[in-house]
Amino acid sequence: MPRAKIWGFLAVFLSAALFGLSIFSVFILNYHDFTIFNSVNLNELSTMTFYSVSIPLAAVAIFVLCTGFWIGWIILTIKVVPPMPEIVEKKDNSKIKAVFLCLITVSLAVLMIYGVFIRNFWALAVPALVISAVILGAVFWVGMAIITTRSTLVINKK
Amino acid sequence: MRVLILGYRGNPYCGGQGIYIYNLSRELAKLGVTVDVMVGPPYPDPLEEWATVYKIENLNIWSIKTKDIPGEKLARVFSPWNFVDYILTRLHMFPEMETFSFRAFFALEKILKHKRYDIIHDIQSLGWATVPMKGYGIPIVTTVHHPLTKDREADLQRNWGFWDKTTTILFYPLVMQGFVIRRVDRVITSFMEGVDELKKAFRIKKERVSVVYNGMDVDMFQNTGEPREENALLFVGNTEDTKKGLVYLFETMTLLPEYVTLTIVDDGPPKKLTAGDLIKKYNIGHRVKFTGKVSYEQLVSLYSRKTILVMSSLFEGFGLPAVEAMSCQTPVVVTTSGSLKEVVSPDCGILVPPQDPVAMKDAVMKLLKNKKMREKMGKNGRKWAVENFSWPVAAKNTLEVYKDVIKEYRSRR
Repeated sequence: MPRAKIWGFLAVFLSAALFGLSIFSVFILNYHDFTIFNSVNLNELSTMTFYSVSIPLAAVAIFVLCTGFWIGWIILTIKVVPPMPEIVEKKDNSKIKAVFLCLITVSLAVLMIYGVFIRNFWALAVPALVISAVILGAVFWVGMAIITTRSTLVINKK
Repeated sequence: MRVLILGYRGNPYCGGQGIYIYNLSRELAKLGVTVDVMVGPPYPDPLEEWATVYKIENLNIWSIKTKDIPGEKLARVFSPWNFVDYILTRLHMFPEMETFSFRAFFALEKILKHKRYDIIHDIQSLGWATVPMKGYGIPIVTTVHHPLTKDREADLQRNWGFWDKTTTILFYPLVMQGFVIRRVDRVITSFMEGVDELKKAFRIKKERVSVVYNGMDVDMFQNTGEPREENALLFVGNTEDTKKGLVYLFETMTLLPEYVTLTIVDDGPPKKLTAGDLIKKYNIGHRVKFTGKVSYEQLVSLYSRKTILVMSSLFEGFGLPAVEAMSCQTPVVVTTSGSLKEVVSPDCGILVPPQDPVAMKDAVMKLLKNKKMREKMGKNGRKWAVENFSWPVAAKNTLEVYKDVIKEYRSRR
């Protein structure tokens, strides 16, 4: 088997296993009685430990949410005159969607900051899961592409 | 003087950067400057005759779907910067500039163990890592032909719907460029109005911007002596670029007599659809011809044979086709947008307001009817191009900027 394919299989299995592990540790490990919204108490952690984990995570989450808000804001405020008549004629509801994007991102950011402030477990778990999903998803996707890509052309038997 | 030129793309056949790096490094070397070039792919033609080249890796995968990435590139995705590139491209960003800057930063650290530079010249990459590069104690200048805000505006004009607009906003790294450009020692732009444009887009102080006109190969772009065609207009440029204002050129064509034809040097349908759709709409298909991609020799021949070069641009950061045409003794009809009113002297062509097809029609007709005027403008154009836009002139002026920046930098320390 070519070395690239071995890397591909390794990437797929490793990323799937790691993501499975993060799902297991976030949703199952701590909840033998399935009362998942109550049982993890971050107040037991020392303040130093809590903030050393929560600040980087919250910073990444706020950065992503700010990017979302910024996109919505630009769509709302940018003034361009479309030179193509066919574009002017089409009904474009992107400004309405941009308003929603701004509202949603601001609400999520407020919720995130409040969650960190009251030491809610999910304020940390959700961003951590999303970041893991993006990175591990990318590794998985590249691995799949490596496995399924033919490195040479099919031999023409004729 | 020892100069390090940084460019995230070095293709010498398309895209201004590669051509700029190739010619500027050659002419600077002729002026006695020791030139090193650190460049990303597509790599330039061999520069080793006059410069030391350091090649920086990049997979160039931003417009390719994962399943279409060639096997040998896929296998390299898992190296750290390639993986960053991969993730950001999947999020519709264009990370080439920022990852190039980080790669260049680390490569430079190794090079500086056995070399020193008097100045670093970044060619409009303006990646995040350009800022920590200042820690190496070398002044940094950057060339920005025009702010990317102009390109983003042009793209947003063409976009329809929320998703299209979102991906356009994500694509342009304006926050990064705005942050970095305010922290380099000097910005070089290619036209006077560019100073105001840069101030407007990135809040740069005017005294930190120098104007150096771009260069072009005046030896290559010379009239071939082939007979001129009558009533034949020429347009050179990317037909998908809204900034070129093609819609106004086509409107002009509808106002001109039927015997006036237009040749477009670019691909038409099916490769590029925008211009084709507009041509259908204005019903001028029988008068418009696309050449597709042409060699330099063919381009010089076209400039030499066609009657007038037309540019209907809404914005130009330099306007290379106008200068090339003038260098081939071809009169031009251009809009006054961006750099064009500086690049085209009124005795080499006619300037008209942008988005004004009637004014453009009048200017074209005035020239088509007057052969003597065309010949006179053609000769003036050649003289103007040689005196102002040849590469030796551009390199000499760039060197003056380097000297000024180094002097200012050393006086501060």
